[in-house]
Amino acid sequence: MNSFYAANLLVYAGVDIIACLALNLQFGVSGIVNFSFIVFQAVGAYTAAVLSMPPDTAFGYDFQFYFGGYHLAFPLPWIGGAIAGGLLAIPVGFVVLRKLRSDYQAIALLVLSVIANTVITNADKFLNGAAGLALVPAPLSDQFDPNSNGYQFFYVGLTAVCVVVVLVLSSRLVDSPYGRSLRAMREREAAAIAIGKNPVQLKMTVFIVGGVIAGLSGAVLVGFIQFWAPSVWLYPETIILFAAIIVGGRGNNVGAILGALLVPVGFEEVTRLLTNASIGLPPGVIPAMEWVAIGLLIIGFLWFRPDGVRPEQRHVFEDAPMLGDE
Amino acid sequence: MSLYVAAFGFGLVSMSVIAIAAVGFTMQFGITNMINLAYGEVMISSAYVAYYLNRAGISIWIGMIGGALFGAVFSFLLNRILYAPFQRKGTAPIGMVIVSLAVSLMIANLLLPIVGYYNVSYQNSTGDVLRAGSIVLTTYQIGIIGVAIVLMLLVHSLLRYTRLGKAMRATAANPTLARNCGIPTQRVIDAVWLITGALCGMAGVVAAMNSDSFAIANGAAFLITILAAAVLGGAGQPYGAMIGAVLIGLITEFSAAAWSPQYKEVVAFGILVLVMVLRPQGLLAKRGAMAAAG
Repeated sequence: MNSFYAANLLVYAGVDIIACLALNLQFGVSGIVNFSFIVFQAVGAYTAAVLSMPPDTAFGYDFQFYFGGYHLAFPLPWIGGAIAGGLLAIPVGFVVLRKLRSDYQAIALLVLSVIANTVITNADKFLNGAAGLALVPAPLSDQFDPNSNGYQFFYVGLTAVCVVVVLVLSSRLVDSPYGRSLRAMREREAAAIAIGKNPVQLKMTVFIVGGVIAGLSGAVLVGFIQFWAPSVWLYPETIILFAAIIVGGRGNNVGAILGALLVPVGFEEVTRLLTNASIGLPPGVIPAMEWVAIGLLIIGFLWFRPDGVRPEQRHVFEDAPMLGDE
Repeated sequence: MSLYVAAFGFGLVSMSVIAIAAVGFTMQFGITNMINLAYGEVMISSAYVAYYLNRAGISIWIGMIGGALFGAVFSFLLNRILYAPFQRKGTAPIGMVIVSLAVSLMIANLLLPIVGYYNVSYQNSTGDVLRAGSIVLTTYQIGIIGVAIVLMLLVHSLLRYTRLGKAMRATAANPTLARNCGIPTQRVIDAVWLITGALCGMAGVVAAMNSDSFAIANGAAFLITILAAAVLGGAGQPYGAMIGAVLIGLITEFSAAAWSPQYKEVVAFGILVLVMVLRPQGLLAKRGAMAAAG
């Protein structure tokens, strides 16, 4: 186990935790089934990439085509990625969240995810199409050597800072009166409306906040892997995150973190071990079986333990009058 | 101009394929309240069943019946083993959507190691070329249109003139009331899954016949076009799905002629978004996107 491998594992874990916290805000706390979550991560990654890369006419970059190329210094690309995720959430939320009932919302978002990927793949002059963006500069790579051991752990530190910021932000949100409104809306929308909550406004806000965090997670990831292409944000990637939330426990941040560590990180490791063991299967069988296992995990948990490994705590006031069981 | 006349010809074939698929999909939703996102994958599995029959030297038209049988049994089992128990448990419609998406992922990835990653196509599945002005269609494409017309008439007669169809409509409108009136809703729902599964299987085979080649990855694209047609017509409405299929089939083929065939699904998606913004309940809606959940 060398330090590159450890850094790689920790950065991926951090990105997955950030993403799961965002998805937990939307799906776990507010009940929005955002099947296009990965698109928001992708937008953050693409934005961070074109903000940090030189123009596509620059030496060494002229084999790919993309717009922008602003060569901005860290941390502007990360901030830009987060903002882009939030900006995308506005029109999408406006179309999807206003009138449609929740299962239609989920379908519309799923379709959006598939289509966005198709468009970016085919529009080869926009973000370099199916080949994707390569040689994305690592943050502060003009001052440090990105291949040094020290830099790897510096990056882990940067990721950890983002995880902490996002965790503090989402804990504040979940535990606030606002979080109570969100849970009320999730549990019974009509009752939330009856006490004067505006569900469209609540959903829009949490959709945008989730979009910002998703964008940030994409920016963190692309700075590390230095590459981004349509093949890394196909719609099933969102399903992994859903599996994580369902396994970990919907509606609480501890569950989201637990889920992120168990499902995306855990599966990545198991696959690596199996591939290393090279048990004589044709290539592609292990990844395919991994997806089957993700599906089984979702169905199994929804059937046997719908509240996940760590169920959401019931929120009760200490001085609340006893009303008996629900 | 002749380009658009030719596109109209292809539109006729496209709408036939979409109609078979979308009617099955929308009936599943309308009667059993199940948005089955695994529909596209069941289609592609049936297309592969027909492919293996076809490779064994059986005519593709017989293969189509094989695909239909496979689709019917597969859908029936899917509901019996998975969807129905979850629904009985009281899982919300949105939970069912997640379950069906997980199923879709599982079918695609179980199939991958079996059928491989490469695109395949049926043997001798085009037939002779017929020309009428600028419209150029193969005899097999005309066969597809014929199959679609026959199936649509069958669905119409089933829903209008048979006891089973009446029971299906009653179950769709109000399952509890239907049960109280002595309709065996359980058996009606089984029948719905068998019939819609057969439509799904046929749709998979004709869709594969109508494209040059196909692979597992096509399932998602099928699903988008079907969703667009079903939502456009008003989800749960078989006649709405037929109208939706006609519109989506024509519009996507015209857009392919005017713009680029790569963006067919994108155009279908554009229509889907417009419908969701402007008329979420669809064209023919009694119970559409606006209805209360559950």
